[in-house]
Amino acid sequence: MAEDVKPTRKNLMEIEDRIELSERGHDTLEQKRDGLIMEFMDILDQAQDVRSELEADYERAQDRINKARAMEGDVAVRGAAAALEEYPELTTQSKNIMGVVVPQIDSSKVKKNIDERGYGLLGSSARIDEAADAYEELIESIILAAEVETAMKKMLDEIETTKRRVNALEFKLLPELRENQEYIEQKLMEQEREEIFRLKKIKAKKEAEEDEEETVEVESEEEETPERVSADD
Amino acid sequence: MSSRAGGSNSEYVNARVRARRARLYDEESYRRLLRMSPAEIARDMEESTYEREINELGARFGGVDLIEYALNRNLARQFEAILDWAEGQLYDLLVRYLRKFDAWNVKTLLRGVYSDTPAEEVRVDLIQAGDLDADRLDRLADASSVEEIVEGLSGTLFGDALADALEAYEDAGLLIPLENAVDREYYEHLTEELGIAPELAEYRRYLRAEIDFRNAINALRLARSGTDIDPAAYFIEGGDLFSERDVRRLAGDIDELVAYIRESTYGDDLSEALDELEDADSLVGFERALEAAQLEYAGSLGNVFPLSVTPIVAFILAKEREVDNIRAIARGKEAGLGSEEIERELVIL
Repeated sequence: MAEDVKPTRKNLMEIEDRIELSERGHDTLEQKRDGLIMEFMDILDQAQDVRSELEADYERAQDRINKARAMEGDVAVRGAAAALEEYPELTTQSKNIMGVVVPQIDSSKVKKNIDERGYGLLGSSARIDEAADAYEELIESIILAAEVETAMKKMLDEIETTKRRVNALEFKLLPELRENQEYIEQKLMEQEREEIFRLKKIKAKKEAEEDEEETVEVESEEEETPERVSADD
Repeated sequence: MSSRAGGSNSEYVNARVRARRARLYDEESYRRLLRMSPAEIARDMEESTYEREINELGARFGGVDLIEYALNRNLARQFEAILDWAEGQLYDLLVRYLRKFDAWNVKTLLRGVYSDTPAEEVRVDLIQAGDLDADRLDRLADASSVEEIVEGLSGTLFGDALADALEAYEDAGLLIPLENAVDREYYEHLTEELGIAPELAEYRRYLRAEIDFRNAINALRLARSGTDIDPAAYFIEGGDLFSERDVRRLAGDIDELVAYIRESTYGDDLSEALDELEDADSLVGFERALEAAQLEYAGSLGNVFPLSVTPIVAFILAKEREVDNIRAIARGKEAGLGSEEIERELVIL
């Protein structure tokens, strides 16, 4: 609030500095927001592709496992799945996109060779292989989707935060600072005007006093002069 | 290993099996099931040969699980009955063939303990249609380690093979060496010491065909996987189609492998499936065609020697196929597959 600010020149200078800094910050944040939006649009395209691939992989995996369960039996499919205890390994690293830290997920042991799946080859069938293949692909898609969609969400959060900051600067802080600046400037001008007026007043008063003094002096002089003449006489 | 003294009683067993064969589901029955929901299928089974199993398991399971467990239990019961009827060499031949269920059970036990599955869940997945007695299987279901199961199977057909593969399992931490040892032992024992009796010539031919089909599909699976695995490690001796050298040579090149099968004695029977295999990115159609060819082949052999072991093996295959088909319909319905799609998956002869 402008009324809360002391209308001093020091404060005015401070506010001017803050306005300059805020304007610079506003421009930078605006650039960051635009950059983030561009990056986000790229990631959004990628996320849409990944999501549709994920859906296709899921459909395919479901179809394969349904057929394997139908033709081989649920017991055989569960048995083949139980023959493996090794789980895929995931390692997460992070990368920086315009200041936003997004995860990078590396997976290993998802895609397996036919001799790494635990169940014996001699007594199993191609239906089980195809269901396993389809699920391995699905897991890879899920991992990729997790990476891309987390990056997308983090970018979205950052865009939202940046947008809020830009708006706060643009519609709250800068207007308030400018209002304060204007208030102080007006106050200072007013003070200046008052000062000038006061000085003028003083000057006028002084001049009036001087005039009065001069008048008094002249009058006293005039009073002294006839007396002297009369004495001579 | 079990055996029963005395001569074969093929005539008697064949007569009993013929009666059972007549009760198998025909094409019309499958079409009827295709129009039903899983609950209706279960109700329909209640009025068929599966009545006893549906009633026994109805309180424990529901939905398609009830159907699947009832089918498995009926399968076990039917094959157990065949083994009860059979005597002499016929019994030996049949028990050799039905040890595929022993192999299944051993793998189920190993997988159960490997994945810490509760013993009760393992027990319901066992199909007691082989040679291993129910008490032993029951005891092994409570085993706490793979080593304990291997030890518990010593003295059976799979004992030595499993003991030999145990080290490889312990090194790799994967069940593959044990599972492959079980399946290999089953197949190798299947054709061992069959003798040269003329009435067994057709049966030998059938077993060779079964091994050929198994080798063909496994070679194709390896070729498709594109991995650098020695195909000979997955080769089963006893067939006509491939030698170990052939498999090693052909498994790297799927086109050459398909051409090789096309030029073989099975080429005509499988030509449609091979065409489909070349066009599609899936082995499932080919596998289905192999199953149909195997079923048809066994059926035709049964007609040549109606009083030999082959009509009984043909019934075993047909019964297994019936179980597979009913389960496929029920599971397909459960998964929301269309009737036409399910029908394509069925093998009906």
